[in-house]
Amino acid sequence: MNVSIDDVVLPGDHCPEIVAAGEKGKVLLGPGLRKEINGVFITKPGVLRKRTPNTYWVDNYQKRYVPSRGENVIGTVVQKAGDIFRVDVGGSCAASLSYLSFEGATKKNRPAIKTGDVVYAKMLNASKDMEPELVCVDSHGKKGRLGVLEEGFVFKCSLNLIRKILNPHCPLLNSLKNEWPFELAAGMNGRIWIKANTMRETLALGNAILGSEYLSNDEIKSMCKNIAVLLAGHVS
Amino acid sequence: MVTDMKDVQDFKLKPMKCEFNFLSKSDGSAILSQGDTVSLVSVNGPLDIKMTSQRIDKSTLEVLFSNKNGKPSVENRYKENIVKQTCEAAILGSLYPRTGINVTIQELEDYGGFLACTLNCTCLALLNSGVSMRNVFAAVSCAVDNQGNVILDPTHAQLQTSTATMTFVFDSRDKSLITCFTDGCFSQDAYREALERSRSASDLVFAFYRDIIRKYCNVIG
Repeated sequence: MNVSIDDVVLPGDHCPEIVAAGEKGKVLLGPGLRKEINGVFITKPGVLRKRTPNTYWVDNYQKRYVPSRGENVIGTVVQKAGDIFRVDVGGSCAASLSYLSFEGATKKNRPAIKTGDVVYAKMLNASKDMEPELVCVDSHGKKGRLGVLEEGFVFKCSLNLIRKILNPHCPLLNSLKNEWPFELAAGMNGRIWIKANTMRETLALGNAILGSEYLSNDEIKSMCKNIAVLLAGHVS
Repeated sequence: MVTDMKDVQDFKLKPMKCEFNFLSKSDGSAILSQGDTVSLVSVNGPLDIKMTSQRIDKSTLEVLFSNKNGKPSVENRYKENIVKQTCEAAILGSLYPRTGINVTIQELEDYGGFLACTLNCTCLALLNSGVSMRNVFAAVSCAVDNQGNVILDPTHAQLQTSTATMTFVFDSRDKSLITCFTDGCFSQDAYREALERSRSASDLVFAFYRDIIRKYCNVIG
């Protein structure tokens, strides 16, 4: 079946629009699209999206993470093996994180990381044929916001929920940050780390995020307001 | 024999109802009812599997079928094989080398056309899990009654008097036959008629898949 932009697509659908654009210039095929000998085909169910001038992808529902380069993820250190840490990021195999890829780390000065620590790291390398590799510094050797996440609470959710709350058009975080102070790190692998002043606030934040999965922007705004009112009521 | 298109047009399938994410812990799951027949499928993957079953060029598909009483039997293994071979044709396993994809099927109610229901449910669970697929597939069941007439999507009562049952699976790209499973005695003409009628009826299943996706996809982005 032929489809166009913003249509609901199923695997096996064919998009002649992208092929036509590809004849004029370069196009970027994002997740859910695949070039074959006789055209561009869809591989995931969802909505076909386009960002001008030439980027195409499919917004789909997914829970299982498949590592991809350059994404910020949250992982748990599961093993210390000599020079590297094994980090579980939810993919098909554990990612490796070198002890030298922390800010200011040298062979003498090792970072203090234990098994079970939660780290916020960037995917340096990810291909289907190799083990993914993580770093906790940027290209200037600065840690930025990456590194070990102390305290707080980690929970899992679907990958598209992460993309949804990180989308600048999504009102969730903007509405919540005015209500009570909190820290949040969202990993593209479907894990969220949150830290608020009290347990009640942490729970409210977690429930607000999980509850927004199937809500529209207006519904999210009213839900945030409700949660804030409930929270304020209990405190006073 | 070329089937008259008029005959092909007036078809009906039993009402289908589906729920995604029926199981919260698995990567993808779906429960599907076609009439009174109900099946539940869960998909996990791509995940880590033991060294011996890894394949360097594509993912390994494992299918586990469990019927109502939960005892393993030869019949189950046979159904597992049908589902496995159908899914292998649809999944783009080459994107996930050295990993495994687990498909677990639970029979809930069988009132005829269970294999077709299971295959459709498996396809929906795979769609829910977000595994990359070459195409989707739709299964349609047929029966041949004792007068030699072909019945599309037979009910439990019709199956009691039928001499043969057939299940056809079609892919969504060019509606080509990817799996055929038959049981009983039938003529070549009956087979061809059943094939053509099922092929047309598969459109309904594909439209159903698209409706399901449409229901949730405008709020997840």
